[in-house]
Amino acid sequence: MDIFPALASVLSDPSLMAWVLAAAIVGMIVGAIPGLTASAAIAMLLPLTFYMEPLPALAFLYVIGKSGRYGGSIAAILFNTPGTAASAATQIDGYPLARQGKASKAMKVATISSVIGDFTGEILLIVGVAWIATIALKLGPPELFAVYFAAFIVIGSVIGKSVTRGLASAALGVLVAMVGLDPISSTERFTFGSFDLTNGIGLVPLMIGIFVLGEVFAQIEARGKAPEIIAEGDDEVRNGLTWAEYRPCLPHVFRSSLIGSFIGMLPGLGSAIAAFVAYGEGKRRARNPQDWGNGALEGVAAPEAANNAVSGPSMAPLLTLGIPGSTIGAILIGVFLIHGIQIGPTLFLTSRDLIYALFACGLIGIVFYGLIGYFGAAFVGRFITRIPTRVLYPVIFLTSFVAAYTSRGNLFDVYVMVAAGFAGWAMRKLDFNPAAFVISFVLAGGAEETFRQALLLSDNGLLIFVTRPVALLFLLIGISALLFRMRGLARARAVESAP
Amino acid sequence: MTQGSSPAPRVVGVALILIGIGATVTALSISLDQYGRWGARYFPLAGALALIALGAAELRVADGARLDRRHWPAITGLLALSITYVWSISAFGYLLSTAVAAPAALWIFGVRNAIGLGLAAVLCPAIYHLVFFELLGVFPPLGRWFDLLDIMGGP
Repeated sequence: MDIFPALASVLSDPSLMAWVLAAAIVGMIVGAIPGLTASAAIAMLLPLTFYMEPLPALAFLYVIGKSGRYGGSIAAILFNTPGTAASAATQIDGYPLARQGKASKAMKVATISSVIGDFTGEILLIVGVAWIATIALKLGPPELFAVYFAAFIVIGSVIGKSVTRGLASAALGVLVAMVGLDPISSTERFTFGSFDLTNGIGLVPLMIGIFVLGEVFAQIEARGKAPEIIAEGDDEVRNGLTWAEYRPCLPHVFRSSLIGSFIGMLPGLGSAIAAFVAYGEGKRRARNPQDWGNGALEGVAAPEAANNAVSGPSMAPLLTLGIPGSTIGAILIGVFLIHGIQIGPTLFLTSRDLIYALFACGLIGIVFYGLIGYFGAAFVGRFITRIPTRVLYPVIFLTSFVAAYTSRGNLFDVYVMVAAGFAGWAMRKLDFNPAAFVISFVLAGGAEETFRQALLLSDNGLLIFVTRPVALLFLLIGISALLFRMRGLARARAVESAP
Repeated sequence: MTQGSSPAPRVVGVALILIGIGATVTALSISLDQYGRWGARYFPLAGALALIALGAAELRVADGARLDRRHWPAITGLLALSITYVWSISAFGYLLSTAVAAPAALWIFGVRNAIGLGLAAVLCPAIYHLVFFELLGVFPPLGRWFDLLDIMGGP
């Protein structure tokens, strides 16, 4: 039970608590701003954390991710514009509730459900992660490559509108990761004679470009489209939340928390899928399915619990295998690397105290954003409406340049960030998948290393991947995920084209 | 394989195939290791060939949704500003470049208040310089041709 000493240690460190509190506030505000995501905020703030100690740096970004996921619900309920992709499911019932004058009630339900979901995910992570790491230590290069392969396929094919463009995003991420010197033979790859490219493409400028500058480009297209804002009433009957009102939500919250936790463990799927799966499952099992979509409190509780339950378990593949389960995980890899911490199964041998302290910060962060959200979500909503986007996005634009430069003190990185920003905008516009691109970029190095190690171990070349049962299992998981997705899309098209 | 119709399948398909062919040619020019093995070529080739295959799959899609091109002039303006801004930092240093880029970015986003634009030209470079180059201690990018910090006695 390493978590209890870690909790005691974190609670007795006022400066660390201050970072966690700041992260809870920043994440909530950023998540609530339509268009800005927690990933964007983390990418932008990442260079600042280079100058911090590892634990405050990781805790700050980790809690921003948690709080940002919750903050999206504020925009979904008050502005009819989801602050994050995941909160689009919350919007389905949250906004009708706001129109009925029950915005504060909906936000309280969202807060409590998010907190329960997040706690469930975090506890499952704390209990299960060391066990997963023990298993991961037994995997050899062929099995690890098969896990990477499955991750590429799932990330590329399962999220996004188009399977081909999702997989192309993943392939592009792999190609961009190959730029620079081959880590084994030091051969130049895709450098085209440029000295700057021999160092490879930096993760930080790439992410700032894709998630931050790309969003600034996208926001140009949204100029003048002011979101519809619903004033949250101060009527206690309409906006207070009683136990009798919340009790029917509890079964949905517990089920959705487990759905979110399970989906969170699978690399690349993320909060949005968890929220929609939980919403669909909740509506299917609801006693009042006719109310869902018209302002059912359960319709807010289910997706919010699932959305936030993703947060903790999505760290499991990152910490045990070095495979980020989400874009936030991909960014956190950068923090681990910058601070010289090697992630993977040995992490629990080399940095056990740090990891449990990070989990403790996560738990405390949930309490912080829960309290702030329950009593102050309406204030945050009002605050957001006062931020003019025509000033906000130019400021974000300028910050992205200086943040990209700060990562390595190199103007070439800023050019990379600009190129990535434009590419990020174009990817969104053309239904490519920026998250798959970035996660594949991060995964490519490890996948290549394990692939080549496996071939060196093998007398039969590529057959090593099908003669090892665990490797074969993961290869089949990847291929099955692709086939299921293609079948699902074919069915959807058939329904669409039916007269 | 798409849910609904994604825009411009032919353009995207051709672009993917061209990138894939370029990457394949470049991947095949990567040196073999000292034992003559393809080690460093495997992943670049796999990525490149995957792009060609996926591009070909895109070309099989009949029609796509229309692209909304109304905001492309503003997008082009912001891209031009971005590239010019980075180049001008390398030529004239951070302070002067940001003093020009800040009001320009605000202008693109629709701010027309002269006082606001003027304040941005002064406050933005000052605040970013203080936070990143003074407080965090990052070494600022110095201009090749001219830098305000030379006159001010920094960095």
